[in-house]
Amino acid sequence: MADIATPILGQEERRGFSIPGLNMFMTFARKKPLGGVAAVLVILLILTAVFAPFVARYDPDFIFKRENPNYERNPSFAQLAADPDIGSPITVDSFETPGWQHWFGTDKVGHDIYARVIHGSRLSLIVGLGASAIAVSAGLIIGVASGFYRGAFDIISQRLIDALQAFPGLVLLLLLVQVAEPSVRNTVLAMGVIGVPTVTRIIRSSTLVVQSTDYVEAARSIGATNTRILWRHIIPNIFSVVLIAFSIGIGAYIIFEATISFLGVGPRGVVSWGKMVQEGRGSLDLHPWLTVFAGLAIAIVVISFNFLGDAVRDVLDPRLRGT
Amino acid sequence: MGTYILRRLILNFFVLWLVATMVFLSIRVLPGNYASQQFAGANLGGVSSEAIAQAEKALGLDKPVPEQYVNFMGDLLTLDLGESFRTRNSTWSELGKALPYSMELGLFIVLVGFSVAIPVGVVSAVKQDQLPDYILRGLAISALAAPVFWTASIAVIFVLEWDLIQINVTGQPHAWEDPWGAIQWYMIPGFVGGFASTATVMRLLRSELLEVLRQDYVRTARAKGLTERTVIMRHAMRNAFLPVLTVMGLTLATLISSQIVLEQMFNIPGVGRMLFRSISLRDYPLFQGLVIVTTFVIVTTNLAVDVLYGFLDPRVRLS
Repeated sequence: MADIATPILGQEERRGFSIPGLNMFMTFARKKPLGGVAAVLVILLILTAVFAPFVARYDPDFIFKRENPNYERNPSFAQLAADPDIGSPITVDSFETPGWQHWFGTDKVGHDIYARVIHGSRLSLIVGLGASAIAVSAGLIIGVASGFYRGAFDIISQRLIDALQAFPGLVLLLLLVQVAEPSVRNTVLAMGVIGVPTVTRIIRSSTLVVQSTDYVEAARSIGATNTRILWRHIIPNIFSVVLIAFSIGIGAYIIFEATISFLGVGPRGVVSWGKMVQEGRGSLDLHPWLTVFAGLAIAIVVISFNFLGDAVRDVLDPRLRGT
Repeated sequence: MGTYILRRLILNFFVLWLVATMVFLSIRVLPGNYASQQFAGANLGGVSSEAIAQAEKALGLDKPVPEQYVNFMGDLLTLDLGESFRTRNSTWSELGKALPYSMELGLFIVLVGFSVAIPVGVVSAVKQDQLPDYILRGLAISALAAPVFWTASIAVIFVLEWDLIQINVTGQPHAWEDPWGAIQWYMIPGFVGGFASTATVMRLLRSELLEVLRQDYVRTARAKGLTERTVIMRHAMRNAFLPVLTVMGLTLATLISSQIVLEQMFNIPGVGRMLFRSISLRDYPLFQGLVIVTTFVIVTTNLAVDVLYGFLDPRVRLS
């Protein structure tokens, strides 16, 4: 009796310590090592964004000051003309080179760049996930509706989608973000809208494929209602496509946000990596750290999301299984 | 075939009308118009609302929107795109000035992009899941991930600091006027844009090749004792290349208007920069005209590519 009971107990004990989903993740990581690394980076990014105030060391908007080395008690007009700050004993700690106190240096107005890079992850993450979620949910509804019910709705919505897709994406985005105040919420909404056509197309065509399968035919012939076919057969079967569209889109939206911030029409009042690159670009030869770290942050985050998206697609897309 | 093309042409016409309407409405939804935007800078002096109203009247902005729409559509039917609010030149002549620059940059980008993407895609497919494949794919995805404005900024500094090439350009030369000057001018944006565009093409070619390499006729070709080189170049590439050709056409069509960032950064007076400025200035006719023409180019290229596809690949039946 005891001989049989012990191993079972042991197993249960081990199960008690495991992190939920860890086994699934390990299988995924073993199959797609690049995807596994990317997934870890994405999780790190999410943690960084959530715990930004603790990771950042300083407030991103805090202006660092230092003693003015050129301080003159009673400067002459000529001296003041050459250096307007000469009369004040304390000045802004601008363009500090990267070092122990400021890991990534400071910018023109004395902000700590490390703190700003860390806080910038919040905007990128919100924009990437938010816009992709909007695009995918709208695309799912429109795509399934027009693929499943066909008819007039399909024809009209597809022409509208054609028109939206023929519109140059960045132009549409530049228009949309200027319609209202360029806040984070409006930027996310605008980017979600420009993603809708592509997602709708993908989902519509996979709906058409699923709809012509034998099992849908079978369900129909035993008298299943449209609603039942839709929820029990169509949507579960295109779900992997939805997930792929969602994960592939994120990186593109992050680049889009950085681009419009770089062009000066991005969301106001928040730290944006794109804006940081723009601010440092003029003096890149003198103070490269203003631009380099923000740009690297964009690149690493987008690479991670792209690799993760690719791996998700490879695992979920049956056509690519085994490649 | 004939009916197919006719049907597509009618559809394209409809899509163009939709785009024209969207363009017309969307630019008017933006707060402010050209007149108020012009005086916005001079607001400190206290511009009277009469001055703005007068400017609006001169530009025809005082008319009700439906009337403006009817006029716009009427003009559009006679291919009259109106004249730019700012320069008072016709939109067509503005486009005529900007388009060559965008085309030159676009061609440069496509040439660089494809001459990198094609060999990389082939190697990556042939050496699937081996070290070269991983390295090349990693590089391609990095090129896709790094924002164009960032790589361009850094490329400029490298070129300036290390004197990699002598950039000695005066004015804004066209390729047919001063070929060497134009090449120098487009060098950095062309290479940066080209590398950024490689990833899409390279991945497409790789996946197409992988699919083709599993086909029976490739096995037959190998069994016949053909060299691997002949198998890939003669049998696999010919079939894998078609989708790539499609993408090539479309890339060129979209490149005309999509290089806003590079044109803005490198002061290239192309269509992208003109579009960007026309939005911020609320230059309605110029913006409308530019978007409608670029959309026309994209839609027509799409159709041309699809028709060509039917000729090149007998398996594809147009219906």
